[in-house]
Amino acid sequence: MGKLKNKTFFHSIKIDHNRCIGCVQCMRYCPTKAIRVKNSKAIINKELCIDCGECLRVCEQNAIVPITTSSADINKFKYIVALPSPVLFSQFGQNIMPDQILSALRAIGFDYVYDEAWMCEMTSMAIEKYLGENREQLPIISSTCPVVVRLIQKLFPSLCKLIIPIEPPREIAAKNLREQLSQKHDLKKKDIGIFHITPCSAKLVSINHPETMKYSHLDGALSIQEIYNEIMMILKKSTEPHLMDVQNRISGIGIGWAISGGEIRGLKSSLAVSVSGVHDTIRILEDVEAGKLKNIEYLECLICPDGCVGGPLTVENRFVAKSNALRLIKTFGGKKKVDENLFMNLYRRGFFSFEEEVKPKPFPALDRNRSKAIKKIQQIDRIFKKLPKIDCGLCGSPDCKTFAEDVVRNEAKMEKCIFKKKCERKK
Amino acid sequence: MSTVAVLSQTFNIKGGDFVNAGEPACKIRNILREIGINANVIRRVAIAAYEAEMNVVMYARQGEIRLKITPHKILLEIEDTGQGIEDITLAMQPGYSTATEEMREMGFGAGMGLPNIKKNSDIFNIHSTHGKGTRLKLTFKLNGKTKK
Ligand SMILES: Nc1ncnc2c1ncn2[C@@H]1O[C@H](COP(=O)(O)OP(=O)(O)OP(=O)(O)O)[C@@H](O)[C@H]1O
Ligand code: SF4
Ligand SMILES: [Mg+2]
Repeated sequence: MGKLKNKTFFHSIKIDHNRCIGCVQCMRYCPTKAIRVKNSKAIINKELCIDCGECLRVCEQNAIVPITTSSADINKFKYIVALPSPVLFSQFGQNIMPDQILSALRAIGFDYVYDEAWMCEMTSMAIEKYLGENREQLPIISSTCPVVVRLIQKLFPSLCKLIIPIEPPREIAAKNLREQLSQKHDLKKKDIGIFHITPCSAKLVSINHPETMKYSHLDGALSIQEIYNEIMMILKKSTEPHLMDVQNRISGIGIGWAISGGEIRGLKSSLAVSVSGVHDTIRILEDVEAGKLKNIEYLECLICPDGCVGGPLTVENRFVAKSNALRLIKTFGGKKKVDENLFMNLYRRGFFSFEEEVKPKPFPALDRNRSKAIKKIQQIDRIFKKLPKIDCGLCGSPDCKTFAEDVVRNEAKMEKCIFKKKCERKK
Repeated sequence: MSTVAVLSQTFNIKGGDFVNAGEPACKIRNILREIGINANVIRRVAIAAYEAEMNVVMYARQGEIRLKITPHKILLEIEDTGQGIEDITLAMQPGYSTATEEMREMGFGAGMGLPNIKKNSDIFNIHSTHGKGTRLKLTFKLNGKTKK
């Protein structure tokens, strides 16, 4: 553990300036207004970026590059484990079953492959249990999507305490695996490398910079896109007997975590809401902050449209993937398959719990001095009034309002507005 | 630079407009965030502004929210020209509500709005003339002891 953790890097995306043509597309879509275009190149403000991946989706030049763990880093470990997100099961069409996919991963060369879906079901039980015991402040918010956690820390810091203090399945699974495998194979814990097969690169941020523990239990993440072709090749030629048999281990509840509403499917409560997509997530969190959702017990927010099947590093079209996942959910059924006693044993020991609580990390204010900050707001208003308000983006800021802010923050010059230039010349 | 910085903004509220309701509260929140107001205070202001705004939407024709921020406090004044409140003591009681059946179906009418506003503000002042309108004056302190 901790071998690959890179302490200086904070984000899971970078911009390839050789490819970026400065088209301002990503800047317009960024929900936290973290992107500016300077000298025809997009630049991401590290402080404001939440790794949602919106820019990855819209860039037509493929200039925004997701960062995942390199194969050199993976091979540093003696024993390599794959921990695929249940989204992987939805990527290969109708007739390919989970055990075939997991077997293919084994065949690629992973020493061990673990079905996260099983742990998803366990986590559902932990959520259920927690909800039964904690009702003072509602709604309780899911901790699964690392981008949502970050969004709350930055934009809705007062809601940090509503985040359920239960680790997401990938972390619990890795924690469990490391214990088991080191005993079973007599390995040192640090020689085991556990890698999440992920639909988004945001997971790598949560691995490198976990918010609720000192070190992540995972060692890295590979994208579904990176590993897709290799799996496909093995699936095509494979006639060998399966290396893995998980069919009677997992249920539709675990597989369901791949799509929006999946966490709720496993809950008894009917007062649960699921939301997906970055804009709808922001909207619902605004409502939560205004006290509008006090009657709701559990709120699942996933930053990607339709949930993780809509992750930016998936291969299958998300509508088809969703349909595949729904079919699997039906096939595997809604009956829980995990052992209650085993669950209770782990739950009581706090196996699922956060080590640390989620701490607020609000966006930087206009000024640390309150008087100055107030004056700056007034200044912004004055500047904004003089701007054309057509949000053309040519100045390099996403819209006129943000440009006015950038000017006041001393990050942009008034002359950058081509309309201002014209007015000035006329005078 | 010796003058005290004061930010004043006014937002209109239209009675019966459930579609756009909540927008002023949201804008206020964003301003507070930019000024770097403490997260807990932001939450309290957001709750109070939203509840007060909804009361205008539900029980008045027209109204406005006036926001005033100084380095030491946040003032919210919510004023409307509506039916006014006949018995303020009664209206302040948790659970008291005159909301219609339709409003209740939309999830309003728990009679918790005014008590909630009072709970979340540091100074709460209400003035209402039956048949004319209602004015709330709320103060949120930014220094020293504030509510949790
Ligand atoms: N601005 C207003 N104009 C006229 N009457 C009001 C106004 N605000 C509140 N009232 C009266 O006071 C009552 C109590 O208000 P309060 O906000 O506490 O509860 P509510 O609005 O009925 O329900 P809730 O806020 O829980 O949805 C209202 O039902 C209404 O009769
Ligand atoms: S919704 Fe899922 S795929 Fe998308 S960012 Fe969150 S965790 Fe990643
Ligand atoms: Mg009310």
